[in-house]
Parts: sequence; structure tokens; C-alpha cells
Amino acid sequence: MVSSSAEKTKWMRGPSTPLRGALLGLLLERPGHGGDLANRLAARLGETWRVDTNDVYRLLEQLENTGLASSRDEPKRGNHRRTHLVYHPTEQTSEALTLWMETLLPREPVRLGLQAKLSVARPQDAARLLVALRAYERECLMLAQLVSPTDGQARSWAALCMECTRDAVYAQLQTEVDWAARTRKRINEFSEPST
Amino acid sequence: MTPLLSFLNVSKRHLDGAREIVVLDRVSLEIEEGASVGLYGARRSGKSTLLRLAAGIALADSGAVCFDGRDMARMSSGERGRLLRGEIAFIASGDWRSNPGESVVDHVATSLGSEGLTIREARRRALRALDEVGMSASGAEGPTASLSLDERARVMLARALVREPRLLVLDEPALMSGLADRDKFYALLRAAARQQGTTLLLASEHMAGLQGVAVLMSIADGEVQTSGARGSVVPLPRRRAAAERFAQ
Repeated sequence: MVSSSAEKTKWMRGPSTPLRGALLGLLLERPGHGGDLANRLAARLGETWRVDTNDVYRLLEQLENTGLASSRDEPKRGNHRRTHLVYHPTEQTSEALTLWMETLLPREPVRLGLQAKLSVARPQDAARLLVALRAYERECLMLAQLVSPTDGQARSWAALCMECTRDAVYAQLQTEVDWAARTRKRINEFSEPST
Repeated sequence: MTPLLSFLNVSKRHLDGAREIVVLDRVSLEIEEGASVGLYGARRSGKSTLLRLAAGIALADSGAVCFDGRDMARMSSGERGRLLRGEIAFIASGDWRSNPGESVVDHVATSLGSEGLTIREARRRALRALDEVGMSASGAEGPTASLSLDERARVMLARALVREPRLLVLDEPALMSGLADRDKFYALLRAAARQQGTTLLLASEHMAGLQGVAVLMSIADGEVQTSGARGSVVPLPRRRAAAERFAQ
């Protein structure tokens, strides 16, 4: 049973939180069996995530153990003599999804967490997403600030490699800031009253 | 302590045909004397607008932009002009202009025109500034017409630094021919600003162009985000209302 504040966020620990959160969103949209949920997750998040069906079964089991999903055997569509395990949301699922939307987890790969949240966000989550996107933008700026500057005079192979690596970091952070700003803008424009 | 530059609820709008574009919406930030601040943003994000407001070249529609505690909107255009020729230096890459046949050192020395110096003293100071940005004495006596993009950027920097401004505002200075030139330019800029104790506010659409600054900001969709403790983010009013409706 989910009760205290620490208990309520316990399921968000570990590296697979974005996938577990997205699964909660999908369950709230409609129940499904493991294979169905894995397919919907892959379609929603895109190929870069490489969603593994076995992982999805494992994550669903974890969610069930924490009271955020429940499963029961139900007849297969088209073959009523065979059954499969179908996962459903519980009374706590919606509250857990809302909590995840507004929780900034310091140690998770933030972009993945945000992307997973976006994939299953409800209209009422718009304000929470904007807060998360702004925080992410600021975090990227802080990370860019930590990169040591170069004097542009790589005199050795090692120094050149260091400069190329530094360039990669800037390129990545710039892409992230652009993405966060663009996403904010799209959410803002969508939520603006049409004039 | 009064910040050297402060924005308090500054808004600025532009017209794009019949459409009104909110470039800055109630932006607040403070920059202390001696700080270095980088402003990152994509094209048409409002970077140049913010810099022009900071330099007193343009005025805000609402809110206050203060330099050393003085509200720029309350200054006469003459006062703002004097500020821009003295305490504030503004460099934009697209602003390169030189007279035909003019030597590099004269080009830099003419920026001291309003200081009441002799030509000899102005040239001496110009040569020193050119040396600081890595221009050789022979290059300094050469014509401006033969300068490469990298050299032009350094000459523009020397022209700004020779006046020893308190605030140096650079708009997209990274139009160098190569990455190594760009990095060298920024290293030079940081060193020169540090040496003179000049406050730096520079903008670029390349984050790597802002390396080494003490505070990094980003601008998009009317909002400014900042990595520093100072500065605030205020969502557009219409959008705030919409977000509140969503939240209900």
C-alpha cells in the first residue's frame, strides 16, 4: 500500500524510472498485456530507446509490487480458451503519475526522464512540464559553464583530443537547451488562447 | 552594492507585419561590475535586442534598464550617447566599417576622438590596445582593407578596449574563419577584460562561443533562463494564465 511521502516516491528509484513512469501513463490510458504495453511504449518513445519486451514485463512486475499496477488473467481476444496477464491501473496510479511529472530526479539522465514524461503527459501536466523544462535548461547552462575554456592553441595530440571532447560537450548541451526551449514554446503556444 | 547593469521587469515588443512579437517579457537580471555573462540563443531569439537595451542603443517598452543605478530611459539621448562612447562599448560583428585607405592604428585611434587627446597620444594608446589583442606593429600600420575576418574581430576588440569601458557588450562576435581562431579570440577577450576589470556581456548562437564566462544565460520565446543565482524568469502573462487554466 502506498502511504507516506517517501513511500510514494520509492518506485522512482533506479535507472528505469522513465520507463516505469511512462508505463503508468499508458496504463491510465487503457489496460494492456505486457506485449501490448511494450509495443505502445516503443511507438511512443521512438526507436532510440530500444524498448525490450522482457524489461517491460520486469518493470510491470515492479509496479505491481509497489501497488501501482494490478494484473489478472483475462481471456485472449479471438481465443477465449486461452488467457494472458492483463495489467490495470490501481487507485494510486494517477496520483503517482502526477507526482512523477512534478518530481525532478537529480541522478536520472534528465532528458530521458523528460521525454518519457512528455510521451504520456495529460493536459493538466502542462504547467509541471514547463517547470521541468526550465529546470533542465538551467541545468544544461550550469553544466556548460563548468567546461574549462580553451585558448584555441592545441599543441599536442592529447590537447587536440581534449578540445574535440569539449566541443562535443558544448554541441550536446546546446542541442539540449534548444530542445527544451523549443518544447516550452510549443507547449506555451498550444496553451495560449487563440487570438 | 549597486549592480553595474540591471534589468527590472523589462519588456520589449516588435512588430512583424501586423503580428506583435514579444521579444522580452518582464526580464529581470543583475550584472555586477567585473562579471562576465554569456547569453546563448538561437537566431531571432532576442539576443541582440537584449544587448541593445543593455548598451542603451534601444529603450525598453516597459520596465527599467539601469547602468550603475541610473535608469537609461530617464537619460537624454545625449547622455546615452556619451555613455556609449565612454563607459559602454558595443561591438556587433556586422558593424565593421572603415574608411578607405585608413590604417589599422588610425581606425582604432579614432574611437578616442571624444577624449580630448592629441593624435600622437591616441595613436600610442591604439598601438597598445592592438598589441593587447595580438596585432603586430607592422599589422597595425597596414590598411584595414587587407584584414582577415579574424583580424577584423581583434581590431574591433582593440577599438572597444582602447577606451577602457566599464561594460563591454559583444553581439555574436564568433564570426571567425576557424574554430581555433574563435577560441583564441575568446581567450584574448577574457584575458583583456580581466586585465582591465571590464564587465563582459556577450551573446552568441554557439554555446562554445561563450566558454569561460562566469554566468551563462539562455534566451528563447521571450524568457531568459540563467545559470546564476541572480536573474529571474517570469512567464508571459497570457501563458501563465493558460497554464493555470490547464492546472485546474
